[in-house]
Amino acid sequence: MTASDPAPRKGKRSRSAHARSESPSAAPPAHEPAPDLRVKLAGLELANPILTASGTFGYGLEFAHLVALEKLGGIVTKGLSPQPLRGNPPPRVCETRGGMLNSIGLQNIGIDRFVSDVLPGLKRYPAKVIVNVFGRTVDEYLRVVARAQPHPEIAALELNVSCPNVERGGIEFGHDAEAMRRLVAAVRQETDKPLIVKLSPNVTSPVELGLAAKDGGADALSCINTVLGMAVDAATRRPLLNTIKGGLSGPAIKPIALRIVFDVSRGVGLPVIGIGGIETWTDVVEFLLAGASAVQVGTALFRNPATPEGLVAGLERYLRETGTPHVSDLIGKLELPAARAPRPAPENAPVARSPPRGGPSRVR
Amino acid sequence: MLDVRARVIAVDEHPLPYFTLRLGVPAGYPAVAPGQFVMVQVGDRLEPYLRRAFSVYDIGDGEDAGGSPSARLDGRAAPAVDAPGGVEMRLLGKVIGRGTRLLGASRPGDEVGVLGPLGRGFGARTAGRVAVVAGGVGSAALLLLARRLATGDPFDVFYGGRSRRDLPDADRFEELAEASGGELYATTEDGSAGRRGLVTEPLRERLAGGFYAHLYACGPMGLLARLAALCAEHGVPGEAALETAMGCGFGACLGCAVPHVAGHYALCCKDGPVFRFDEVAW
Repeated sequence: MTASDPAPRKGKRSRSAHARSESPSAAPPAHEPAPDLRVKLAGLELANPILTASGTFGYGLEFAHLVALEKLGGIVTKGLSPQPLRGNPPPRVCETRGGMLNSIGLQNIGIDRFVSDVLPGLKRYPAKVIVNVFGRTVDEYLRVVARAQPHPEIAALELNVSCPNVERGGIEFGHDAEAMRRLVAAVRQETDKPLIVKLSPNVTSPVELGLAAKDGGADALSCINTVLGMAVDAATRRPLLNTIKGGLSGPAIKPIALRIVFDVSRGVGLPVIGIGGIETWTDVVEFLLAGASAVQVGTALFRNPATPEGLVAGLERYLRETGTPHVSDLIGKLELPAARAPRPAPENAPVARSPPRGGPSRVR
Repeated sequence: MLDVRARVIAVDEHPLPYFTLRLGVPAGYPAVAPGQFVMVQVGDRLEPYLRRAFSVYDIGDGEDAGGSPSARLDGRAAPAVDAPGGVEMRLLGKVIGRGTRLLGASRPGDEVGVLGPLGRGFGARTAGRVAVVAGGVGSAALLLLARRLATGDPFDVFYGGRSRRDLPDADRFEELAEASGGELYATTEDGSAGRRGLVTEPLRERLAGGFYAHLYACGPMGLLARLAALCAEHGVPGEAALETAMGCGFGACLGCAVPHVAGHYALCCKDGPVFRFDEVAW
């Protein structure tokens, strides 16, 4: 641990992200120690709630010279499959207003090379390493998980069940509640590491998929993966991506992400990691208030690789200026107009095994 | 690699849509190899959101300028850089969208974020006469190279575009080539400057004559593919700076895939932007 760790807090007050019932304390006196940025999430203890999102930060080490890795709460790797994947033909990216579309197709070095070549170098950083797991079949997911399981440096696993850019596999687990439950349950058998499932926004009810993941044994959910989109070049009359459609990310998707974080955090009863267009510390505070226990930064890294450290500093300043001793005091503390406050979902709501067809499910 | 705030010294206008952006970057800026690039952040708005990739067109590095601490380009006295001891970096731009339009409209004193230098530049020069082939704004990746080549064996420049305005810096290339004992072969498709036709036509004749030990190029992908085939045909090794759609510029997004002959996708930003002709599956 480093000197930059927050000073120990007085008493035995819980720093758990789940300690939501505690009432916020009064504004601290001026000599109050630095705000506590630590969060506890699905058994993970993070130095702060700022992580990098899968697919935007390579395998973590490539950017050690650009990003202060020691300032990060965690790193989520590029999605790793049992074998290296070649990825999609170019063009794979294009810019859109307030964001970008990508169709990388999960190009990656494979779990074996990650474990042998990359993981040893990540050991010296305090940021928690979360391996993003991708497979085309349940068996492929299990093979990646089995390779990751023996390594204590891998703090948690994030299941990618929602990549919109691969032809087969992956997406079905993210879009079908029963397939989701079975996949998560199978993975749960193979690992005792914290298990995070990354939800797709491209479904009618992310809550329903989140409940299925919970039923399968997930410890946390990350919301959201990219939003399926497309871009057209009027001059050439062609789509701008080789695959025609791709995943939209960046500030353009932030309102969608906030809505899903809000719904899923209330409707599922698992901690949620917010992702989608996060670029400033106010974005971070908004996601925490909406119900996220931590956030991942993605596309903003491409514009400014130093984004995460700015978010940590900004969040700390916000906590100090608002007299908030713990970052966890913000989680889910959105103030709602009384008449509009949704009723909390029952803690053990049953999983809808076969979603109703022909229209959005009704909230009873 | 550094992420610096650069100050706009001036924007030199060429015939539209071309412009040269002259930036002051801090003293001690890392050495830039010909062919390397920078990612430029244009404003802080949502559009454009991502940075734009630009070849480093020119940079005062003290080395070629006789060790002078002030920025000097081509051995001529450069205009003062506003940061004392700073270095002037030049980018050649072509207005094609909102980002380049905003950059071209920059005013002296404006600040832009410059991340770089990035990527793999051109390899060490080979002995013997060499050819430098530019297609349009591809010349942006080749001026630094031409400056380095100007002190060695002769080199010829083949510079082609649709029209006269697409050869915005033909004079400088001509000067550098002639200083080395070589010459400029300019072509335009409409015949408004140089020889009418494609840049590959005079090149083909010279390649057939066995004049060249090596070829350096930058331009549209179609041109580069033709050059790769021409070089293979004449047994001349060559390399080219490629341009692709790019998200981040530093290997994070994996967006700038280039099909490699070995079967995988290389990254333009990290494995390139300069590739040997025989590395790319054209």
